[in-house]
Amino acid sequence: MSRRLVYLALAVIAAIALTVGVAGQRGARTEDEKVRQIASTVRCPTCRGLSAAESDAKAAQAVREEIRTQLREGRSATEIRAFLAGRYGRDILLTPGASGVTGLVWVIPVVVLVVAVAGLVAAFRRWRDHPFAVATIDDRVLVEHALHADEGAGR
Amino acid sequence: MTSTIDARPEPAEPSGAPDRRRPRVAPWVALGLAVVLVGFVALLYTRKGADSTVAPSPLIGKPAPEVTGPGLDGSTVRLSAYQGRYVLLNFFASWCVPCRNEHDDLLKFTARHQAAGDAQVLAVIFDDDPATVRTWFQKNGGTWPVIEDPNGKVSLDFGVRGPPESFLIAPDGTVLTRIIGEVDANVLESLVAQAKKLGAGS
Repeated sequence: MSRRLVYLALAVIAAIALTVGVAGQRGARTEDEKVRQIASTVRCPTCRGLSAAESDAKAAQAVREEIRTQLREGRSATEIRAFLAGRYGRDILLTPGASGVTGLVWVIPVVVLVVAVAGLVAAFRRWRDHPFAVATIDDRVLVEHALHADEGAGR
Repeated sequence: MTSTIDARPEPAEPSGAPDRRRPRVAPWVALGLAVVLVGFVALLYTRKGADSTVAPSPLIGKPAPEVTGPGLDGSTVRLSAYQGRYVLLNFFASWCVPCRNEHDDLLKFTARHQAAGDAQVLAVIFDDDPATVRTWFQKNGGTWPVIEDPNGKVSLDFGVRGPPESFLIAPDGTVLTRIIGEVDANVLESLVAQAKKLGAGS
């Protein structure tokens, strides 16, 4: 009984932590922070392995300037990202979009996690119900047979 | 004759015991994985490779973004002023070796269309100093307009990753082709001829 309560408490805490973790990301207040936040999800066009927020390359500066201009025009982060993807192609985005085929990138890990946990639960249940190391009568008969066969071969 | 005895009750020997059969999961998991893998391979196989210099761009088939900027000669250059002609918008830098290599082809292309006036090269400086570019043009020839693009805004609007990159733009302002790397005068010629035949944007 109390074990169930513990599991329930764990689940509740995990849910709260996830919610806070996801919602807490939208903390950018100043314009600079917003520019940085969006730029960090966009690849620097001329360098390798850097976001437009980190790089000092001219193209990255141009991306940041474009983000700033569009923010001032009242565009949302999604709109700005869509604009950049419409010019450079979708691979300019470091975080994939949440719809269409790219949405699978977000969905598959969750599905795999759920399936894995379910599989573990099923396996644990089965191991609890039928422990491996119990010899059945069949097994004993088998061993008996084998021993006799060995003796027969030995003589 | 020896026999090994497995501690696990799984391999049901022909002792005629009523074994509780475990559902055979592994083959189905393997089958599922195989289907997914074959799907991925098919997806990769059917996608176009990036072996040619003609490259994809989200802009192809769409109206070209407007380009306005100070030219090297001090005038203001506008892309829309060249409507009615095929325009080759060429992003380049004097520090870029393939850009130097393709310069002769651009000169050739310009010379071929000089009389007819049906095609025009427009250059955009990609991350380079205008003064250096000016001397470079004086030395190497080329009379087409050169846009300075000091903030990289034109390069951003066309999604340019690095020079040289060129965009062939139809007379009505539609982006027809994106070329990454050196352009070849003959390839340009066939691209223009092809576009004319299809009547694209004329």
